[in-house]
Amino acid sequence: MQVLHPSTSEEALELAAGDEDTYFLGGGTLAQLDWAMGLRLTDRVIALDRIAALQGIDVGPDFIRIGALTTLAAIERNRAVADALPMLLSAIKVTAAPSVRNIGTIGGNVGGRRGCLIPVLLAMDAQLEIARPNARQRVSLVNWLGTLRDPDCLIEAIVMPRSPPPTRWTYRKTGLRAEFTPGVIGVAGSLFVADDCIEDCRIAVGGGVTAMRLFEVEALLKGESPEAVDWSHVHAELMEAIKAPTDPQRSTHYRRRVAANALIHGLAGRLPGNGRNCPRMPLSPPAGPVEEIRLGRGPSGKHWHIRPDGPAKVAGRLTYLTDVREEGMLVGRVLRAKVPHAYISHISTKRAEALPGVVAVVTHRDIKGSNSFGIVVQDQPAMCFDKVRYTGDPIAAVAAVNAEVAERALKLIRLRYKPLPVASDAKAALEPGAPCIHASGNLVREIHFERGNIEDAFARAAHVVEATYRTPRQMHTFMETEGGYAYVSEDGTLNVCAGGQHGRRDQMQLARILGIPDDRIRVVSSPTGGAFGGKDELTVQPALALLALKTGRPVRMQLDRAESVRAGTKSNPMTIRMRTACDADGCLVAQQVDLLADSGAYASLSPGVLETALEHACGPYDVANVEAHARLAYTNNGAGGAFRGFGCNQMSYALECQVERLAVACGLDSIKFRARNMRRPGTRGYLGQAVAPTERLSEMLDAAAADPIWSKPRGLSDDGTEFIGVGMGMNYQGNGLGTLPPDPGGGALRLARDGKIEAAYGLDEIGQGLLAAIRNTVAAELGCGHDDIRPLTGDTAASPESGSTTASRGTYVVWRVAREAAPILAERIKVAAASILGRDPASLIIVPGGVADRASNSGELELGFADLAAALPAGEHLVAETEFEFPKSDYYDGNARLIFAFGATLARVAVDRVSGHVRVLDISQHTAAGPVLDHAAYLGQIEGASVQGLGFTTIEDSLLESGSYFTWNLDSYMIPSIRDAPQSMAVFAHEGLATDDPFGPRGIGELGIGAVTPAIANAVADAIGYWPERAPFDPEQILAAMGRQS
Amino acid sequence: MTAIHFTLNGEDRSVDVPPEMRLIDLLRENLDVTASKKACGIGRCGACMVLRNGTPANACLLMMWQVEGTDIITPEGLDAVPESTFVRQGLIEENAFQCGYCAPGFTITLTALLRETDDPGEAEIREALGGNLCRCTGYHSIIRGAVRAVTLKAANALPGD
Repeated sequence: MQVLHPSTSEEALELAAGDEDTYFLGGGTLAQLDWAMGLRLTDRVIALDRIAALQGIDVGPDFIRIGALTTLAAIERNRAVADALPMLLSAIKVTAAPSVRNIGTIGGNVGGRRGCLIPVLLAMDAQLEIARPNARQRVSLVNWLGTLRDPDCLIEAIVMPRSPPPTRWTYRKTGLRAEFTPGVIGVAGSLFVADDCIEDCRIAVGGGVTAMRLFEVEALLKGESPEAVDWSHVHAELMEAIKAPTDPQRSTHYRRRVAANALIHGLAGRLPGNGRNCPRMPLSPPAGPVEEIRLGRGPSGKHWHIRPDGPAKVAGRLTYLTDVREEGMLVGRVLRAKVPHAYISHISTKRAEALPGVVAVVTHRDIKGSNSFGIVVQDQPAMCFDKVRYTGDPIAAVAAVNAEVAERALKLIRLRYKPLPVASDAKAALEPGAPCIHASGNLVREIHFERGNIEDAFARAAHVVEATYRTPRQMHTFMETEGGYAYVSEDGTLNVCAGGQHGRRDQMQLARILGIPDDRIRVVSSPTGGAFGGKDELTVQPALALLALKTGRPVRMQLDRAESVRAGTKSNPMTIRMRTACDADGCLVAQQVDLLADSGAYASLSPGVLETALEHACGPYDVANVEAHARLAYTNNGAGGAFRGFGCNQMSYALECQVERLAVACGLDSIKFRARNMRRPGTRGYLGQAVAPTERLSEMLDAAAADPIWSKPRGLSDDGTEFIGVGMGMNYQGNGLGTLPPDPGGGALRLARDGKIEAAYGLDEIGQGLLAAIRNTVAAELGCGHDDIRPLTGDTAASPESGSTTASRGTYVVWRVAREAAPILAERIKVAAASILGRDPASLIIVPGGVADRASNSGELELGFADLAAALPAGEHLVAETEFEFPKSDYYDGNARLIFAFGATLARVAVDRVSGHVRVLDISQHTAAGPVLDHAAYLGQIEGASVQGLGFTTIEDSLLESGSYFTWNLDSYMIPSIRDAPQSMAVFAHEGLATDDPFGPRGIGELGIGAVTPAIANAVADAIGYWPERAPFDPEQILAAMGRQS
Repeated sequence: MTAIHFTLNGEDRSVDVPPEMRLIDLLRENLDVTASKKACGIGRCGACMVLRNGTPANACLLMMWQVEGTDIITPEGLDAVPESTFVRQGLIEENAFQCGYCAPGFTITLTALLRETDDPGEAEIREALGGNLCRCTGYHSIIRGAVRAVTLKAANALPGD
């Protein structure tokens, strides 16, 4: 690209010379977004940064002139502008984010014609100083917006008249989340009132819709007394006048309605509806105090430890697997399908291979083993050969000397497709005549379970509630996209180093694909920049391995975000029809569930997700009569798979809403109704399986009843703009993979040569705090200090099989290995030390740093670990290993869990009367998962899951149009920003286990996401009497519901 | 190719690169300066945050021609910025991060905040961090770490400082 730097506007116009494709660049933030989306790619840009006339802010008596190149941050910091133009300041503060405002300019915001500042500038009657070849002119912004894009026109400044301030003004941007969001619609209005008469007014919309002044509506207001205006008529006229698009995220109707609501509220103080919300039921008084602890640096006290990898991560000194750079390392890129469903008729890589700098191109022809993988069903090609089934499907991969050459090479690979019809809906995919995605048919899995007599039970029931709940295709959005590196070491071992969640399974799957033995492959899968289930299945490993083998050189690769969106797995969207009944006393008598889930193009772990969802169909409740049916369908909608919660959270959304609705129907409060139906300790599990002895549901219910969240303000907010409500959901989640899949665990402890105690686990540090948990637990069991422990994780060469870092199972594995292996290692250390010291092993004890005299309290070491290690004869190692199967239940007709963790989640929300947005104010999580291995990690998991669940509930969904992602990057796929996070979060842990419980601490990686959605949904119902049946909640439906209530 | 001169973590640098190359790609692909992460590439996540002439900017939105003549500080260079000591210490003590991939970006933004603002409260902290996304933590641990950093800075500011 050629970047030209004119020093005057005239020169800039001359350089552009009317070329439509020439960009004038200020900060370039908008243009770069266009380019990233493949729009208006250009060879030449004209940078305006050296034109002095475009800089600066002049505050004059009649006008404020802001040079087009002024950054938004500079305007924000200018006191005079803030005082004179508060409306502009309010709009800038919600435009982009602070760092982007340090780059983006006001000229760019206006010049792109879709900036969020335009409505406010229109309402201020802003003018533009325009330079044209041989002319300068001042035009009103509104007139300029009416003209076509003109490369012979350069905006030099934005000029705001300093007229007397309006009597009333308003600006409001409605977006997709609380901040740093694309605009759905922005509105601005100003009224000038004198002698009870609206003398002038300006009303405008823009930012997400075509920017325009609404002159017709202004005409309605002019000359009227503000009190005499028929505002509901104005609302209707606004709805009529606003032009707005529909896209997969928001409809035209919603944009109009929210804009009209915002303008009427801002200018007249009126809100839709009558301000009365539904009556709320008083809560029964809580039972006695609950033995739980609050987690945090203060309350946790001596249990609060700094995580071992914390300092390096904060300083940016931790080397992720995607950060490794070595001399001679090649860069890999993957060619992915451009169409969601097609036969491949031709692949030619010749031209790509001939490009200088390209070292190798691989396709299906390079696969020596089985070209199919998948954790449950091997239905996914490592490199496509006969057809492509989603737009992320890999077809070829390139290794080149740098990223740029690799990228160019991809474009030289010739492909011919025969397009096939696209299956973009799970229900339609199962109907006769649907496009067939796999030869086996589109039904991946069907599960049926029943007990009792459902029809009788419904016939006898006093109350029946039926609803259909829909859940999103949530994206894991780990911050580190999939990537890593691979190389063949001197001994011929293939090393594949890429973030994952189960190194040994990756190793096994790679061995199958490559046709080489497991022991010729080493997999390094930690550290990883987040996973959440999204790195459970293979990601970049096959391409990396093929390229490293073919080139014989190290190759690195990292997906960019857009590619990660296309290629990566997502949660399975579910449609859950649920019919639930109780008797007149509020006892649940029947539960009927019909579940349909979208697997995407391949199975991956989706069948497991389906099983888990169905296993939690009655959650923590005892229901005698059940019929549950689930189907999983192949579609061309991306690829589905594991996601934190694994189907349990989706089911609990539906179930806990049903429970709350029945409670209301019975006239019982949230606590009392649940108390009547809770499963009883000592009974068998939902499928009839044996379960672990510890049950903490009634304690969790007591804790929920006593939570201070209930006594916080509810009802209409002080300013009248929001309805506030509180809701809850119970949480009951199984640990481990269940009875059907193999679920190995194990680990090893050893004294290393340097005197450290190595704790080797084949688990992965994915952020959850594995290293801290290992260190604390092994040190406690062994008696040594935290600093004596060196965890070795995520490397098949360094650590034994421990099973996957999924399904909340790591905690148990860490604990059990420590408990079984530490006493053995301790004994070996004491015996070895005793022989060196010439003492009786029984007289020694392990203390921080080494071995001490059991009888002495001095803490003085008799022998340090390092000295002991050095004194050991060559070849003698002090090691203790253990291996076991993760505890399993006794039920094999379906997948059943033995160990469960318990919880109650409460949420307080505010429902916005203007936009229909749900703002989560407080989340409180009570959890019972046995002893806490690491307080900070536990707190972090629950808080993080709370906000990930909040995202699932209110804003997150991967949207596709005919098999192609609409939400392609983080500008359209919204994860919660810091302002979406609740004002307060509180996390409590109940640590006690039943005395006869041999299973130790439960995992909590998924517990925190389990009941967030129903807690928020029930809180919305508490606020406005309406249960959202679709997550993420649709603000349009919520506005409609509030309209019906009034 | 264009010759671009700038200061990177206190060192003068001169590179010959395409002018539209993004700073984050220069850092990660060419210079092996990898503490700044690239997690969206379109300025929406803040993982690549650097200080440009002292203020936070997304390195994935900075084309190299925009870097000409500027002073760039990446997380590797924060040792030279005194406020970063408190920021790092506060974040470490509160175990603010989990996977840590976003951490360097947050540290940059918070260092700038502590340098510009005497005693930022939770509201200012949230406002400053509007462009930094974190997926693991739900943000509260980061807010607590930032509040702790403010306390540490205040405690360290001796009378007469």
